[in-house]
Amino acid sequence: MNTDKMLEIIGLNKYFGPTHANKNLSFSVKKGEIKGLIGENGSGKSTLISQIAGLYSSDSGQMLLDGKPYSPGSPIDANNRGISIVMQELGVIGSLPAGVNVFLGRTKQFTKNGVVSLKALNKAAAEQFEKWDLPKVPLSKLTDGMMIETRKIIELARALSVDPRLLLLDEITQSLSMNNRNKLYELINKLKAMGRSVIVITHDVEELIRITDTITVLRDGEVVGDVVSAETTPDEIKHMMVGREISGDYYRADTTPEYADKVVLSVRDLTVPGEIENVSFDVHESEILGFCGLSDSGIHSVGKAVYGLIKPSGGSIHLKSKDLMIKSASKALRNNMAYVPKDRDNEALMIRASIHDNFVLPSLTELQGKVGYLSPAKLKKMAQDMTDKLSVKCTDIYQTIDALSGGNKQKVNLGRWLAKDIKLLILDCPTRGVDVGVKAYIYFLMKEAKNNGVATILISDELTEVLGMSDRLIVMKDGAVADVIRRDEDFTEQSVIRVMI
Amino acid sequence: MIKKSRITLQDIVPFAAFFVIFFFFAIVSKGRMLSAYNLSILLDQSIMTIVVGCGALFVVAQGSIDLSVGVNLALTSVIATWAANAWGGWLLIPVALLVGTLVGIFSGTVVSKFKVPSFMLTIAMLIGIRGIVNFIQSFIHTQAIPASMSILSEPYIKYPAFVLIVIVLGYVFEYTKIGRYCKAIGENETTARFVGVPVTFMKIVAFAVCGLTVGFGALFSLSSIGGTSQQIGLFFEMRVAMAVFLGGVLVTGGTSAKLYKVLLGSFSITIIVNGLALIGLSQTQYSQSIQGILLLLILGVTILASKKSKKYAAHPEDDEIDAHSEDQAAKA
Repeated sequence: MNTDKMLEIIGLNKYFGPTHANKNLSFSVKKGEIKGLIGENGSGKSTLISQIAGLYSSDSGQMLLDGKPYSPGSPIDANNRGISIVMQELGVIGSLPAGVNVFLGRTKQFTKNGVVSLKALNKAAAEQFEKWDLPKVPLSKLTDGMMIETRKIIELARALSVDPRLLLLDEITQSLSMNNRNKLYELINKLKAMGRSVIVITHDVEELIRITDTITVLRDGEVVGDVVSAETTPDEIKHMMVGREISGDYYRADTTPEYADKVVLSVRDLTVPGEIENVSFDVHESEILGFCGLSDSGIHSVGKAVYGLIKPSGGSIHLKSKDLMIKSASKALRNNMAYVPKDRDNEALMIRASIHDNFVLPSLTELQGKVGYLSPAKLKKMAQDMTDKLSVKCTDIYQTIDALSGGNKQKVNLGRWLAKDIKLLILDCPTRGVDVGVKAYIYFLMKEAKNNGVATILISDELTEVLGMSDRLIVMKDGAVADVIRRDEDFTEQSVIRVMI
Repeated sequence: MIKKSRITLQDIVPFAAFFVIFFFFAIVSKGRMLSAYNLSILLDQSIMTIVVGCGALFVVAQGSIDLSVGVNLALTSVIATWAANAWGGWLLIPVALLVGTLVGIFSGTVVSKFKVPSFMLTIAMLIGIRGIVNFIQSFIHTQAIPASMSILSEPYIKYPAFVLIVIVLGYVFEYTKIGRYCKAIGENETTARFVGVPVTFMKIVAFAVCGLTVGFGALFSLSSIGGTSQQIGLFFEMRVAMAVFLGGVLVTGGTSAKLYKVLLGSFSITIIVNGLALIGLSQTQYSQSIQGILLLLILGVTILASKKSKKYAAHPEDDEIDAHSEDQAAKA
């Protein structure tokens, strides 16, 4: 490995109003180095790489690129110096086709007499996908309505299209499914072999150790440790992150499935054209039923169809506990079902509305008094109690959701359902983009719900998560159920992956 | 109070606009605006705008708009007058409410089931229904309502009815599930649907409520004028829309929709029209231009203020990212 420092940061500071996001931060990346950056939500990781990518200015301190002062005024500026970024929150423009999104802000090269040649642009975009071996994406389709994963890949293509010497990846693996994660790992190795550098941010400690050369741990805007990945352990990193010992196993400790015989929901031959085919399963009281599979396996569609959000072409969803068929989401809501979607900001929360408004929305029917009266005091109490119970970090319950960090948003997203008397809980990637602390708390809430008899459908791209939490695991492939594995059977990553692929 | 600290510039502007307009016209009319006689005229002139504005609020909260309230008012008035003259005066009330609501249900159904943008649909209706109204008026000769029904314009009926309508609508909008669901749809239709809000049904409900208030509006207008005319309902949709937006409700709806804003906006716009008349500008060719310029000015300030307060409320990071992507979009 080359030892000269490609990017060096000395004493960087950044304030957001009263918040001191980066405190005197020093940090460096060598040429050909894969650098990991980890820390709890709000520890300043995203701020740091946004500064490197030219999205934020710095209040004081210095950045050196190849020994020369570097202070990018805009992302385009950073691109010109060979630095590009894939952001944590989704950054594609929905009303534009995928191809245009790849060359966003740089369409000039395809412009002739003021008209952009989409043909040339799409050809160039296709070349980028080819060059970096990215999964295929329909380039002339609008990105609106594409899955998170696909949109993330488009962003990745955009970042790669500037041929970066330093690529910044902010929590992107969490949006990808197993197979595409492996592609990403290959890509990172390829960049390393080319002598390029990568900074990776992820909350998955094991993954971080596996794919990086060195890891920098941040806490409250400060560097608390620099370690060599090959010489550290997940526990050491976690310890550094939170500054105290946290118990290693936040998953379930038992190895036997434990649930009641009573079936809560029975799904038979559920078919959604192009998504899922003849999916049948039962989920029981106190059971956590896991779903896993590759990106086109249809696991996410199962959740949506069961909650009545997409119309199946055939099959039945029978809510046994109430003896009725679920045909619409409003019926599901009325009958003690809950659904936590994967795309928090676009599908779950009203991000411009307050924490209060988001908390009460699913419980309005229960909160009604005489003549449908919703007492402001009652609503406020409910929102305040839940905010306290889940310790959502906020100034008050009237703060808007978009001011919260990912972990706190997710607490609201999940917590508002737990305030209700639910019988069936559908979770789609409940720990996407949250740090270990919140993750552990979400698992705790799931266990609590299980003990209270709630039946849970857990859909996840994280194999360790479904293995760690499920009583039974349904492995899906190409829209159909490939296998059902019980917790006391061959419950290992290897056996699941064998079925998945 | 925590809530107090959350008052933003966006909340203040409609009040400020109202007071500026109020004092401006009070002064330039040399106090004539504040005479008891004129104040009662002001109230009478605001009643229809407020009632229909309260109904339109349900639609606007969802991020939709109903531009057909003017023609709906005309159609409702014409049919109700015809029915009352043909079969008995008392029919005026149920027929007006029924026709208004049915037109609303029609709009709501088309908007929600066939995903037609409400703006497009109601503009089409604005043109189409005006044709129907003209057609009906061409063979119905009685334009006056039966004399017995002018009792509706008596103060002891009109004002209590008005107050009751506003209170009931205010209650439903601010203190029940229906209002909260409307706002949730305006905030983000997808998240509302994903939570389990019956979006299609709620859209029909909102347009139906709007149509119902048009029915009430028609009754107020018929009883005070004494019948229909060729001009009935012309530009009324603009007046209602302006009242709602002048009050500070955002076009995108959501939690910015509040009933008091409709009251405020309705009074503001009525004072502008009334004030211009008082200072003798209504008969000149300038009056409409002056109205237009005033409205533009106030809306401009409101929008600027809302942008500013959003900047403060939102996460600093988000703002910069927004600015950045806008920047990129502009370049693309």
